Amino acid sequence: MTDPFEALAQRVAERVLDLIVSALDVDALLDRVDVNALVGRVEINALLDRVDVSALLERADVNELLDRVDVAALLGRVDVNDLVRRVDMDSLVEQTDVGALIARSSGGAATEALDAARSQAVGLDQFIDRWVQRGLRRKQATPAGPPALLNGRAGP
Amino acid sequence: MSAATRTTRPVTSQGHYAGSVSRFLAYAIDIAASSGVFALALAGISYVVSVVTGRHVSWSKENILVAIIFVAWEFAYFGYSWAANGKTFGMAALGVRVVRADGATVDPRHAVLRALAFPLSFLLFGLGFAGILVQREHRALHDLIAGTVVVYAWDARAARLRFLAREAEPGAIRAQLAGDERS
Repeated sequence: MTDPFEALAQRVAERVLDLIVSALDVDALLDRVDVNALVGRVEINALLDRVDVSALLERADVNELLDRVDVAALLGRVDVNDLVRRVDMDSLVEQTDVGALIARSSGGAATEALDAARSQAVGLDQFIDRWVQRGLRRKQATPAGPPALLNGRAGP
Repeated sequence: MSAATRTTRPVTSQGHYAGSVSRFLAYAIDIAASSGVFALALAGISYVVSVVTGRHVSWSKENILVAIIFVAWEFAYFGYSWAANGKTFGMAALGVRVVRADGATVDPRHAVLRALAFPLSFLLFGLGFAGILVQREHRALHDLIAGTVVVYAWDARAARLRFLAREAEPGAIRAQLAGDERS
């Protein structure tokens, strides 16, 4: 059986604690705490070593997490043009099935012959142009093309 | 795959002034095509006349009427092609096209002016074409008169990708294509 005095003391202690907590300004107290210093004293690595990440991930509902992500806003922050510029298309074509797709969609003897003829013609154009420029003793480089087309790079 | 590390070297000449070989080949194709179509048309007319009247009609090169119609046809062939999309059949084959000197799309007025000025380049033993070789923007006399230039319009980068695609797995791709054709 519990001592009545002990029970009384327990109730008094709880009441006193309630009064103290309600009298405290927790925000003001937190303002006085140097959080950076506090965090600096915590050994994060040791803390992480004690965390079972696998168990943590098992408990996480990834689908719910993804539902809460604003994908449109996320994509809006991605510079897709910069991303595409960084892609090495040559290696992409050589190492993946993209090459087969391109060959299937645009292949054919006529396309191959046309590509070859155009490439040869451009090569001869450049070869002749180099010799003409040399013969005319032109020091300054000639313009490559109309600025509007070169800057746009889209071609006519 | 390490596709994100190496930047691709620009291989295209799209938008650059076209050189003499491309332009001469395009012109040769155009002359062959337009003359062929003209000859076919004359043959067709001869056939119809012979069927209707029973008389055989032959066209002579010395016939002034034929010469005038031929010149008008050539003017229409080049003028209409340049006005419609800036390129003739031969130019499309070689991947070049006519644009204004500032790079803008050529309009019908400049296309017609170019077609009218085109014969002038043949005068003085074709000296008007020398500009394609020596002028800084590879402009012939008729280009200078019409305010036009000729530029490369084909995407060499796409051609390079097609070449790489063919080179990547030629055996596999050709076998697959052959299989598709059989089925």
